[in-house]
Amino acid sequence: MLKGFGGRQLRINLSTGEIRTSPLDPTFARKWLGGRGFVAKILYDEVPRNADPFGPENRLVVTPGVFSGNFGPSGSKCSFGAVSPLSNGEGDSTVGGHFGPELKFAGYDLIVFQGISPKPVYLFIDDDRVELRDASAYWGQGTMETEAALKRDLGEDFEIAAVGPAAENRVVFACIGHDYGRQAGRCGVGAVMGGKRLKAIAVRGTRSTPLHDLPTLKELTLRIIKRTAQHPNMAPWQKYGTAMFVGWSNEHGVYPTHNFQTTYFDRYAGIDGGPLVERILVTNKACFGCWMNCGKYSKVQIEGKDTVYVEGPEYETGSLCGGNCGFDQIEQVAYVNWLCDTVGIDTMTGGNIIAFAMECYEKGLITRKQLEGHELRWGNLEDVEHFIRMVVERRGIGEYFARGYQAAAAYIGGGAERYTCQVKGQGMSGYDGRGAPAMLLAYMTADIGAHHNRAWTITMDEDLGKDVIRGKAKVVVHLQHIRPLFDTISSCRLFWGEIDVTDQEHIDAIKLMTGWDDFTLEEAMRLSERIWNLNRAHFLERNGGPGRKFDYPNARFYEEAVPSGPAKGARLTLADLDVMLDEYYAARGWGLDGNPSREVLEDLGLEDVATNLERAGLLGQLSAPLPPVRGEKYKPKAF
Amino acid sequence: MMTVYLKGGGLLREYLQPDVDEYTRRVEVAEGRTLRQILEAIGIRPVHVAMAFVGNRLVNLAYVPSDGETITLRPPVQGG
Repeated sequence: MLKGFGGRQLRINLSTGEIRTSPLDPTFARKWLGGRGFVAKILYDEVPRNADPFGPENRLVVTPGVFSGNFGPSGSKCSFGAVSPLSNGEGDSTVGGHFGPELKFAGYDLIVFQGISPKPVYLFIDDDRVELRDASAYWGQGTMETEAALKRDLGEDFEIAAVGPAAENRVVFACIGHDYGRQAGRCGVGAVMGGKRLKAIAVRGTRSTPLHDLPTLKELTLRIIKRTAQHPNMAPWQKYGTAMFVGWSNEHGVYPTHNFQTTYFDRYAGIDGGPLVERILVTNKACFGCWMNCGKYSKVQIEGKDTVYVEGPEYETGSLCGGNCGFDQIEQVAYVNWLCDTVGIDTMTGGNIIAFAMECYEKGLITRKQLEGHELRWGNLEDVEHFIRMVVERRGIGEYFARGYQAAAAYIGGGAERYTCQVKGQGMSGYDGRGAPAMLLAYMTADIGAHHNRAWTITMDEDLGKDVIRGKAKVVVHLQHIRPLFDTISSCRLFWGEIDVTDQEHIDAIKLMTGWDDFTLEEAMRLSERIWNLNRAHFLERNGGPGRKFDYPNARFYEEAVPSGPAKGARLTLADLDVMLDEYYAARGWGLDGNPSREVLEDLGLEDVATNLERAGLLGQLSAPLPPVRGEKYKPKAF
Repeated sequence: MMTVYLKGGGLLREYLQPDVDEYTRRVEVAEGRTLRQILEAIGIRPVHVAMAFVGNRLVNLAYVPSDGETITLRPPVQGG
């Protein structure tokens, strides 16, 4: 019997309405672990390379991993994955809250949707009872409104994941909402869900997940809880959450301001963690099984607007929908946060897209007429609200922004692509890489596009030198293995990154959950590297090669110096980026063209993938012997 | 001279090299030194400190600690 898992999977064809339940293969579970691992493997094996991300052949994969719902150090996460309409490659995004655990309690580790429903539906799961139900009554509603309506109609003990109007209208950066303000935000997974006319998933589970050694797991987890309760990071983390880094990020010259035109926002004091706590915070909010409870539930009152409640703003929203759009009051940022959550767009790519449009307006590339008589000024809430609605409803110029950066820049013309702060169609996270070169490299090479959750390097950049280009790539590779591992096992990375729950303690917990006594950290890291290479191969097979040509940001990041603030003068050149990419590919065992080599793929047990790449003419050639271990843990310089 | 206790976790712990308990380092400093000067004196670059607290009170790097005081240092976010 497979322990630590729910033990079952659901296959749902939305075109035909067919629902199949089958046991989860234990060998598959061990090899790919769940979460992002299941997503990567299923998408690679099942989605035809020429399939449209919005077509019936794309899959929407929903998967809580091994930690989810179990009594380990955090177990709240659930991954949503699909071929992304942003990158046209593998896309995955996780959400915390309670949805993943509830799915496990119903006995499911995996749901794979294919097809497109002829009418709006939602998936109803009540343990063994699984039905596709008519969602016409909920279609058109916002994510939180849908969640409330489904809870009202089905019962408060159902957990809901739902999309909003943006996803229904296939806005490519649409997200999936859950728990009144948490999101699987990135990669446009919501757009794929909405495109399939799947409005929501409602689940209630009453089973227990079988565990190998519950008493020892309990002992381990309680020991960790006791220890971390005393951790120095715990109190500030609980008090301010991620919002406290708005100030830090500004003071260190990495804060995106006015669409990354500069890296210091001189009015940041009104949108930092302090004003959040003092002016809008109602209460803290925790995910399943979490004792950090860093989520912030806020009440937003702005004259002339309805009073609204929002979870956040988190740092990423506080930067990308904050100074990056010119907002200097926490209430404004929280209101934009709420608006994005309600219509169901990712505040990160969404914040980037708004700022991109603002800069185009500032430079005269977008006219007032194209904005239906409105303007799009930095820090103007009315302008932003109107623009968001144009995009979500695909009205006028909003149609092109709804299709993503490439379509918008092509429509606008006048060199607008320079202002698209993205890699592979994914808007950049809230750190400017000109003052942190390794961070820029992390964006450039991330499998899903410019997302910080794959690698966050700014402390290292500060430590080794903001202008140092060489010697950082190996650390980026290591981080790209360790950090996404938490999305694979479905635990919260913050326990590891912020309160020192060790990687080995996570492995020990997996052993106690599953009974895999020979499971090691090395195996987990190799799995993470296997996923990384599989996703790269998948991307190349869909988009062609060489991979290197997709690994550059927009020209701003290698042609423009930072004009103001603590990083004033910081500048990278295209040659700098090439030096970093050369080092990075070598550290990964890839060719200098950015394509994986047969040697590294075979070392990771991906012989079939090497053959596929070879047939497609996309196999990289090693320029040096394959490094026995790819990536290197950063050792602080100070001592 | 006076004694100040600096407390930090995460990556900051590696720089801090605690000697009192798992997270705390005891530092002997001249009176009147700012937190920034104290950090620099023990080889910690201020960039590795995102925030500093005395009890629940947020202080900045210009803060001048008193004898026997404990300052909790918060490293920059790594989880994101």
